[in-house]
Amino acid sequence: MADSAASVEIVEGCRLPVLRKNQENEDEWPLAEILSVKDIAGRKLYYVHYIDFNKRLDEWVTPDRLDVKKLQFPKKEAKTPTKNGLPGSRPGSPEREGVRAAPAPQDGQAGSVPGRAASQSGESFSWLWRSVLTLLSSPQNGTARRLIPSQPGRKRKANCGGGDEDSQDSSDGVPTAPRMTGSLVSDRSHDDIVTRMKNIDCIELGRHRLKPWYFSPYPQELTALPILYLCEFCLKYLKSLKCLQRHLTKCNLRHPPGNEIYRKGTISFFEIDGRKNKTYSQNLCLLAKCFLDHKTLYYDTDPFLFYVMTEYDAKGFHIVGYFSKEKESTEDYNVACILTLPPYQRRGYGKLLIEFSYELSKVEGKTGTPEKPLSDLGLLSYRSYWSQTILEILMELKPDNGERPQITINEISELTSVKKEDVISTLQYLNLINYYKGQYILTLSEDIVEGHERAMHKRHLRIDPKCLHFTPKDWSKRGKW
Amino acid sequence: MSKLSFRARALDAAKPLPVYRNKDLPDLNDCVSINRAVPQMPTGMEKEEELEHHLQRAISAQSVFREKKEHMVIPVPEAESNITYYDRLYKGELKVPKQLMHIQPLGLDNEEADYDMDSEDETLLNRLNRKMEIKPLQFETMVDRLEKASTNQLVSLPEAKVLLNEDDYLLKSVYDYWVRKKKNCRGPSLIPLIKLEKRDGSTNSDAYVAFRRRTEKMQTRKNRKNDEASYEKMLKLRREFSRTVTILEMIKRREKAKRELLHLTLEVVEKRYQLGDFTGEVLSEVTVPLAEKPAYIAPVSLANGMRHKTELKIKTYKAGLPYYTSVKEELPFDFVRPKKKYTKRDKLNPPRRPGRPPSLYTVNKADIKQYDFHSSGEEDFPAPLSPPSEPDEENDPDGVFAFRRKAGCQYLSPCAELNPGPLWEHPELAGLDALRHRHSLTALCVPRRFVGLARRRMGRGGRVVLDRASSGTDAVLRQLDPEVVTQPGATDSPAPLQRGPGQRCAPSTSLSEILDNIQALRWRCFRPRPSQDHNQASKTSRLSTDCRLAARLSACPRNGIGGITEEQYQDHQQQLAQMQKQQLAQTSTAPVKHSSQPELKVTQTTCSNDCTSKTLDSASAHFAASAVVSAPPQGHVNNENKPHKPSVNGVLHPPGTTRPPHPTTTPSTSTTSMGGGGGGSGTTTTTSTSHSGGPRGLGRSSSSTTSSSLQSLPNARSHVSAVSPANSHHSARPSAPSPSALKLATAASALGRVPKVPPASTGGTLPRENHEPERLNGISETTVAMEVT
Repeated sequence: MADSAASVEIVEGCRLPVLRKNQENEDEWPLAEILSVKDIAGRKLYYVHYIDFNKRLDEWVTPDRLDVKKLQFPKKEAKTPTKNGLPGSRPGSPEREGVRAAPAPQDGQAGSVPGRAASQSGESFSWLWRSVLTLLSSPQNGTARRLIPSQPGRKRKANCGGGDEDSQDSSDGVPTAPRMTGSLVSDRSHDDIVTRMKNIDCIELGRHRLKPWYFSPYPQELTALPILYLCEFCLKYLKSLKCLQRHLTKCNLRHPPGNEIYRKGTISFFEIDGRKNKTYSQNLCLLAKCFLDHKTLYYDTDPFLFYVMTEYDAKGFHIVGYFSKEKESTEDYNVACILTLPPYQRRGYGKLLIEFSYELSKVEGKTGTPEKPLSDLGLLSYRSYWSQTILEILMELKPDNGERPQITINEISELTSVKKEDVISTLQYLNLINYYKGQYILTLSEDIVEGHERAMHKRHLRIDPKCLHFTPKDWSKRGKW
Repeated sequence: MSKLSFRARALDAAKPLPVYRNKDLPDLNDCVSINRAVPQMPTGMEKEEELEHHLQRAISAQSVFREKKEHMVIPVPEAESNITYYDRLYKGELKVPKQLMHIQPLGLDNEEADYDMDSEDETLLNRLNRKMEIKPLQFETMVDRLEKASTNQLVSLPEAKVLLNEDDYLLKSVYDYWVRKKKNCRGPSLIPLIKLEKRDGSTNSDAYVAFRRRTEKMQTRKNRKNDEASYEKMLKLRREFSRTVTILEMIKRREKAKRELLHLTLEVVEKRYQLGDFTGEVLSEVTVPLAEKPAYIAPVSLANGMRHKTELKIKTYKAGLPYYTSVKEELPFDFVRPKKKYTKRDKLNPPRRPGRPPSLYTVNKADIKQYDFHSSGEEDFPAPLSPPSEPDEENDPDGVFAFRRKAGCQYLSPCAELNPGPLWEHPELAGLDALRHRHSLTALCVPRRFVGLARRRMGRGGRVVLDRASSGTDAVLRQLDPEVVTQPGATDSPAPLQRGPGQRCAPSTSLSEILDNIQALRWRCFRPRPSQDHNQASKTSRLSTDCRLAARLSACPRNGIGGITEEQYQDHQQQLAQMQKQQLAQTSTAPVKHSSQPELKVTQTTCSNDCTSKTLDSASAHFAASAVVSAPPQGHVNNENKPHKPSVNGVLHPPGTTRPPHPTTTPSTSTTSMGGGGGGSGTTTTTSTSHSGGPRGLGRSSSSTTSSSLQSLPNARSHVSAVSPANSHHSARPSAPSPSALKLATAASALGRVPKVPPASTGGTLPRENHEPERLNGISETTVAMEVT
């Protein structure tokens, strides 16, 4: 394979099966797309994105893991710019991406510039626009290496205009900033090759070494380091262990720099104001961005509160996860970003975080929902939480005066602070809603009940509302957040 | 029920839903298909991601098994939690408090350096530590400051010195190292920082730029307004604080200087005590040579000119030097008393100097108030405008504003626009001419000789001080016998003091020329009057003045003779002795005749150059002496006439100055007349008041001379400016023009310097008022009466 790889030039945009181990440690050859190529000491490395796999599994691979025999060159017929006007820009899903016709270049959308096929076909407009592109996309953040003439369209041109969505909003093609509220973007028009690739190799945080999943805008000079060191308590980023050592002589934090509003057992929650404690909030966001694809750090942290969950031991309060929350949400969001750090994942902490967020909403007397889009893990976690929360309520309903227990969706929502829509979607997902004899009923199947009981048995981490010391503030009455 | 009917019914969140267990519903299967009546809710995920392999697998596994299967979870990159050195890294333990942790928002920003040393730095530190001790924290702080002070440009070494305030060697080492490291650094800063947005929007899509400000949202109108106001307030506050800091800094310096002065004084006293110098002889001996230069040089630097008064300032310059001689004696540390008087006087006469332009500023004397600012509060002291009189001034004649200030003097700014004719502004008057404008030829009675150009002024307690200037004619003058310069017409007047306004004559160097000049009244000449009239003079002066002090001031006894009292006379003895001593010393080269008239020891003689060597008669000598003493406080008679044209030199003497005016002031007051044309008129008019030290003189009509002198009585001591005697005899017979006056006038007009003064007026027939309009611009000022001898 290495031989053949040497003979054929594998460039960005090529697709081919790449070897990877699955969870059962078996060899798989999923189809992957080459996103970038680099040359280290004469040895080529390829950054691959496995089609249909989440970006977090993208990685640098050696040539011997490439199945060059099944190499597909970038598709020529791809006159269909994707949703973002950038063919193949979405990880591994060119086929799925919209079949929309390429917007004509004349309409002034730099962002909708030629697909790679268009440019290769020598379409005059495309060429024209490609040159514009090349001019605009100067040496930004190493994207230059993607600017090979054969594939101008591959370059994500965040700097020369948004994708279709943007251009629909602002016909002048000027890049528009993300919306001011919220913390997540679904609009990937600002996505470019830089943000598509992980830029940090490894993060050392306390006892843990984390492999980042996504791009995070840590200072660029730190991204070349093999390991980025974070202070476990203030989350300051440092370039070396020596620096961290020095920093720790000066940093006397042993817990997140906020007020502790909850403590039960070793679990504590700290509330941090994104305006009052910018440094920590920013550091936290940078770290979180490593694991949240859709999180945006475009704007400052002022309108957010950060609730950091910690686990206490003799060394201090160690961060386990956090969620952020807008001080004022116009869309009933009670969570903006939510993250359990990888070392703590799949141990119930995520659900604990979610539960805590709803406890806050209960104190506030509101219902809430997490900001969208959800990630895959987010969706699973929330669904799981909603399911268990709703089933818990339904199971505990007792017959009233011999009559069949009944409950409205609104009541469920009020009891749990879960937004009505989420209640309905959960009921649907669990397949509980049925129409029977002229009315909707909720039916609890046995496997659901059993499954629930098993899950609840395993769910030992719970929030105790009595341990919550939280007074909601009315942020709308303040001049600033 | 048809399908249609139930499809129409939407799920109602408010409607109770009965909860069934499946076992309770045997016929549930009938209902399954109905489920689609409820619209499917979106998952909230991105569409593409929702279809990702692992998620789908996990979802389906969950729906099948109702719980997660180990191998069905979504795979994520691994994380390790086995950092072995963790315990060594994070030292110490934390005991958890019972209460919830609370943190003070203000304590969040610690002041510690943001820079953290790396191993490269450690190497440097180890190297440095061989020579000196430097702690890592110290190093980090240094680098941190350097980093934070650098913007686009690196901090320069001098800046770094200010910034760091460290030992030079250490600073240099660290600085060089920092510069090197900075050059090799890949990032913009040695402290890694998140990229910041740029205002121009160029970073709008830079992936590494994060945490941009949400500008739009912050800018509510109300807020912006408040922000602006508070911003301005903050600016103002800052300005005021920094001013306060400056003031305090200066106060600190002042107090230090004061302390030092005290220590030095103490030392001097101790030393004197040890020496047994109870009479002060030793001190004065020692002081004289020492005081000369420093006394003048020191004042230069301080803008406000506030200086400690030296106890005894006697400046003597060798006759050969191109400087005038200044002989000055002041009592040490006696400023307090006069000062009181001063202020008091101010209250008495608030509206002084109506004619003064508002621009005038005063620097109050104030040995103590070294840091007086030119606050308006102090400007009500009508200080004399003092022309530059320092020795250097002669070398720098064009430095109108370059005069030096002197402690104890009040200064008013020259009013060039109003008084276009200050002498030194006329280039043609530079050099000898300029000298002559400010100085008179002066003769002494004892020893009987000319001392050259000098000007007189009143020292403390009415002592007369001669400020001598040297000129090329010194040698010639010294050979001149004062008697020679007797004015032919002077015999008419008992005390002929003549003023010679003729300035423009070519520099005369020969004896005869000088004599010519004097006689032609082109040069002013002052000679003491003989003593015979002494008694009379004092008598007359008493008539016009109520008190002894007044006597000194008395400008214009009706008799025209400035009186001198016994007390005054006695007052001067000491000073005169001193002067004689000095003069003797100075004039060793020139043969000098000593006149033995004891009364005439006070000799201030302004001489114009043209005096021929006629001897001074006793009457005139006496007049001169008395004039000196009795110089009225209204230093500026001339000013009376020209409210808008302050004295020639722009120097006004405040009536109440506690100290003798700075020598520089004299030109305006005593000899000012120099203004060629002005001189002519001056002679005639001066009759009333020769000088008014007081500003009142300004803008007042000459008629008020007596009253003005009376008013100024309280200030008797301060009649600073009254260097020149009042020419009382003129006033006595205003209608009878003295020949000398006529002569003077003609001479002046002949020279064209007094174009506007008609001969008639010079004749003195007209009251002074009449002349006023005709006066030459400031130059003529001089109402100072002078006797041409």
